[in-house]
Amino acid sequence: MKTVRIRALALLSFAVLLQVEVVQAKGDDFKSVVKLIEQFYGVKHQGIPFLAKAGMKVATTAARIKGGTAKRIAEAGSVKVAVFEDQTFDGEFTRFRTTLNASLNQTWSPLIQALSATSEEQIYIFVREAGDKFNVLVITIEQREGTVVQVTLSPKNLVLLMKDPEGTGKSITEEATIVDQE
Amino acid sequence: MKLLFHKLRLPLIAGLLVVTAAFAVQAQDPKIQTGSLDHLAAKASQTVDVNVDGRLMKMAAKLLSDKDVEEKEIKELVAGIKGIYVRRFEFEADGQYSAADVESIRSQLRGPSWSRMVNVTSKKDGGLEVYLSFLGEQVNGLAVLATDDREFTVVNIVGPIDLEKLNKLEGQFGVPELGIESTKAKPKNDK
Repeated sequence: MKTVRIRALALLSFAVLLQVEVVQAKGDDFKSVVKLIEQFYGVKHQGIPFLAKAGMKVATTAARIKGGTAKRIAEAGSVKVAVFEDQTFDGEFTRFRTTLNASLNQTWSPLIQALSATSEEQIYIFVREAGDKFNVLVITIEQREGTVVQVTLSPKNLVLLMKDPEGTGKSITEEATIVDQE
Repeated sequence: MKLLFHKLRLPLIAGLLVVTAAFAVQAQDPKIQTGSLDHLAAKASQTVDVNVDGRLMKMAAKLLSDKDVEEKEIKELVAGIKGIYVRRFEFEADGQYSAADVESIRSQLRGPSWSRMVNVTSKKDGGLEVYLSFLGEQVNGLAVLATDDREFTVVNIVGPIDLEKLNKLEGQFGVPELGIESTKAKPKNDK
């Protein structure tokens, strides 16, 4: 009888621990991804929280993206950005993809993954529900730079992303890193 | 030994039933497994994987407005679709993917629920094979295999879909421009 009770308690504790771990993973995925990139490629990021917050305050302002204008995509105040500048991203990108997917597959759905062996560019877009909105994680890695952006999107903008995942994914990154710097 | 068999008989039968049921469900599932193509990413100059799963599709469709013309159009287009999955590989040289790679996909499309649409061609160069999956009389999936000397694309749409809808989806939701043309959109089972 005692053994059964101990087993039940152990199982219960394990279940609670597991739940806590999943919740924590959900909250800290942005940081985890940044850390994963740092460890895999031996690089260091620069955070630009001020720029991101300042950039996202006025949701209706037109953003200047690559010489043109575009509507803002991300919800106000929802942006997390980490930038890797002038660093070397050497390594097997297929192995990196496997590692990244393994670390995010519990809480995020991979929407698009585009890799270019010739230009050594990688773009990953993951999505997860966040109440009546969606969190989107965009990871771009090039030969000498990388960006990790997490934003919250309205359902309408999620559809934009689903309709043109590559284009909208790039716009999200550009919006988060270029917007309002002028 | 006999006793052991007697004790394990029921769990064994139950297990066997579960496995059989799982295989039966899998046989009707129009979702194609493309894991066999993973190794091509290392050879390809460009690799694109798109996964718009049913959960995302359903949620987005539910939240789209009927009042907004553009949103309404998308809502109608994706209605009932349970997933769009695309794997596209582009290579810098010929012969980077093998017949076995293509066969790993084609073999799944020889299942009883799949029929090849023989009257579908592409405006683009290269081979194009379009397959529809049926559950009874209803179409419940579509698969496109587009092959070129330096390109290999697999498009898999799960849910009720016809060629007209596929044409509209080209260039959207990660579906590449396939240049699909059809004379009569009637499936013919060529097996």
